Amino acid sequence: MVTAVSDVSRVAESSSPNGATASTVRYSGVSKRYPGADSDAVHDLNLEVPAGEICVLVGPSGCGKTTAMRMVNRTVEMTEGDILIGDRSVKDGDAAKLRREIGYVIQQIGLFPHRTIGQNIATVPNLLDWDKARTTERVSTLMELIGLDPELADRYPAQLSGGQQQRVGVARALAVDPPVMLMDEPFGAIDPINRARLQNEFLRLQAGLRKTILFVTHDVDEAIKMGDRIAILRKGGEVAQFATPTELLMEPADEFVEDFVGADRALKRLALMRVKDVDLWKAPLTHAGDPTAPVKTELAGAEVPHPLMVDGENRPIGWLSDRDLEAEFVPKVPDSIANLKIDADQTLRDGLATLLQSGALYAPVVDGRGRLTGVLSVEIVSDFLSSPVAAEADIPAVDRPRG
Amino acid sequence: MDSLAALSAAIEFRDRSGGGCIQDNKLFCPGWVVDNYDRYVDPTLQHLVLVLSSVSAGFLIAFSLAVLAHRHRWLSSPFLAGTGVLYTIPSISFFFLLLPITGRGSLTAIIALTAFTLQIIFRNITTGLRNVPPDVTEAARGVGLTSQQILWKVELPLAMPEIVAGLRIATVSTVALATLAVFANGGGLGGEIITGSNITFKTGIIVAGGIAVIMAIIFDAFILLTGKLLTPWTRAAL
Amino acid sequence: MIAPPFAFSLGLFGDAFNFVLHPQEAQGGGVMVGGPSQVLELASKQLEVTVLALGVAILLALPIGLLLGHFGRGEFVAVSAGNAGRAVPELALIALMAAAVGVGLFNLVVALAILGIPPILTNTFVGMRQVDRSSVESAKGMGMTNREIITKVELPLAIPTIMGGVRTASINIIATATIAPLAGILTLGDFIISRNVYGDAGVLAGAVLVALMAISIEGLLAGVQWALTPRGLKVQRA
Repeated sequence: MVTAVSDVSRVAESSSPNGATASTVRYSGVSKRYPGADSDAVHDLNLEVPAGEICVLVGPSGCGKTTAMRMVNRTVEMTEGDILIGDRSVKDGDAAKLRREIGYVIQQIGLFPHRTIGQNIATVPNLLDWDKARTTERVSTLMELIGLDPELADRYPAQLSGGQQQRVGVARALAVDPPVMLMDEPFGAIDPINRARLQNEFLRLQAGLRKTILFVTHDVDEAIKMGDRIAILRKGGEVAQFATPTELLMEPADEFVEDFVGADRALKRLALMRVKDVDLWKAPLTHAGDPTAPVKTELAGAEVPHPLMVDGENRPIGWLSDRDLEAEFVPKVPDSIANLKIDADQTLRDGLATLLQSGALYAPVVDGRGRLTGVLSVEIVSDFLSSPVAAEADIPAVDRPRG
Repeated sequence: MDSLAALSAAIEFRDRSGGGCIQDNKLFCPGWVVDNYDRYVDPTLQHLVLVLSSVSAGFLIAFSLAVLAHRHRWLSSPFLAGTGVLYTIPSISFFFLLLPITGRGSLTAIIALTAFTLQIIFRNITTGLRNVPPDVTEAARGVGLTSQQILWKVELPLAMPEIVAGLRIATVSTVALATLAVFANGGGLGGEIITGSNITFKTGIIVAGGIAVIMAIIFDAFILLTGKLLTPWTRAAL
Repeated sequence: MIAPPFAFSLGLFGDAFNFVLHPQEAQGGGVMVGGPSQVLELASKQLEVTVLALGVAILLALPIGLLLGHFGRGEFVAVSAGNAGRAVPELALIALMAAAVGVGLFNLVVALAILGIPPILTNTFVGMRQVDRSSVESAKGMGMTNREIITKVELPLAIPTIMGGVRTASINIIATATIAPLAGILTLGDFIISRNVYGDAGVLAGAVLVALMAISIEGLLAGVQWALTPRGLKVQRA
């Protein structure tokens, strides 16, 4: 189901309503109080979502995150303040017209059971009176993009699985290539395995489309995985913190944020890094038949306690024990075969898990072809956890390693 | 259909008052009603008998059908279709289709009225049973109840709201429909609507029709209350 | 009461059959009755008033039900209309119409339409409210106007319930059209009501014809319902 990025951008270029790419979304002093309520559902919200980024609104139930999102397409009308998309206020003009330019995905999906998948996806194009040929082509492009067999276009929602229906919901929202998308717990109703898959595929899509997305969830792990920036809301619709995932994890603004993020927030950071992105240990390398003397000298100043024997392609074979080093030349078969190897593209979290599960303190790291790139150790991981935030900005969500 | 002559001919005799109001056939003459109310006693009682017999019979039959169809699902469609045909045929027509078999009289009327109630009650009982949450029946089965016990102790009680709704609809409809029993010589309030061969006595129509409507309302409320009494758990919520 | 007339009953069906096919002399003598042409005349009259009344009822009740259902207002009125409509005895309505307002095709169609409106109004309202809320919400969020939501999303999904109301209305209307002869409009019911003219054979023939007409119209409406129900819904049921 991997679609090349070039295909994705083909989708992006075709049919933008005003040829625009993503726009910023800015909340300015926005409040919402429902009639008869004695407190605001959303209180004085000020937030700026940079163009092309995913901003996750997260918080406990009743914190106003869904209300805040829905004020962007006016499915809920704000009582005070304004929301600007680009430089246009959402209050300008007709609500229905505004909504046709914003992608909208809700948790229960809300596909129309009486229409085919193709007709569902074509909903907004039809409302905008696109000509049939263009619509049909767009529908099949989108279906391929989201990983659905275009032949399913004539089926009805009741004939699809939950995961497939969710994809249709996303395709439907992307139909007219809107610059802004609103997603309300879009993957909430799916089982964890498929949810992870859908999240990854969506991030892959976003890598090519770069839309401005407002994403609501109650799951802080999803927020960290999906968000370029995260806004944690308190009950009563106030922003407790608005920051990148790493800032959130390393410097929670207050106790509420700390509790919400979870006691394991340090570990959560490990999911944001790839093994190859940290400084790995260098092991003294040698080959079968090499003299042992040079390697013994190197060992003195190395971080790794044993030298590593590799083959001609630099692939790790095993560790040389002290007894191995007593000989003048490196034996063909080392005492300790390197059965444990860590994939360089894995998250740091998975790498650590691999180490811990085998009871090893360190293991060689290899690339896609099995060639050595360094050695990962538990010590490296704990050093990383206690280091200050990296100087470079957070990796965008779309480029992050995916579990 | 002339008024005055036929009217005075049709209003037999024991008219003790009314005078000008009746003569002019005004819409509603309270004076006349007060003086003549006892002529409505018998028809009302007959009407009650008609309604009670047909709804009871209808309920018993529809209930048995529904329980059968609940156990053997394939019976649902044919039963639904069968009761549907009976529901579609206008009662008047039904009375006279029965003519060769049961002749004229209240039995004919009751059979026809019963037939009319079958589909409503059957459908509601079936829907009520189907809407019982499957996890409840699963739990009951897990606890060791037999199918029979589950039906009587779990499914039927939980289906009560639907069943009560169906009974209410059936009863109200039957009260209205029973006015037609007069055509089958079955008595009832219809006789006071068409007095003799004349249907223009306005006060009479309104009184007879009014009694029917009031009877329907009373039955409706009664069934509703009884239903609520029998299902304390629906009241307990909240 | 049942056994002896049985042999007699077969004969009566034969007489009824005869009645439809051949004009014969009236019971009271004098005029010729029965036969295909008279049957056709009365049948088409019944069909005419039924279609007119049903049409009017749909034209009035459907839009109101759609609007009330979409905005979620007026639940009490919409649901009570159904309950109230059921309690009105058709006989009293026709009689009152004849007595107070006067006879004639127009008045009859109005009275019949009044009987047909409650079930259509109630069912349309309920059908609209029962449409899956998430479909409506996503429609609104994607930028459909109220009119578009009603026509493209809610109405198609509510068709089964709405048609159920239309079918109930048609049953009421047909049944009442059968007694329209009381108000001077001659429909098939005349065979049934005026026994002294048409004889037992005529009565039975009338009963059968009315039943056949009712069943046919029901079948037709069932077909219409099937045709109007979106494929997506039928697939769901599977």
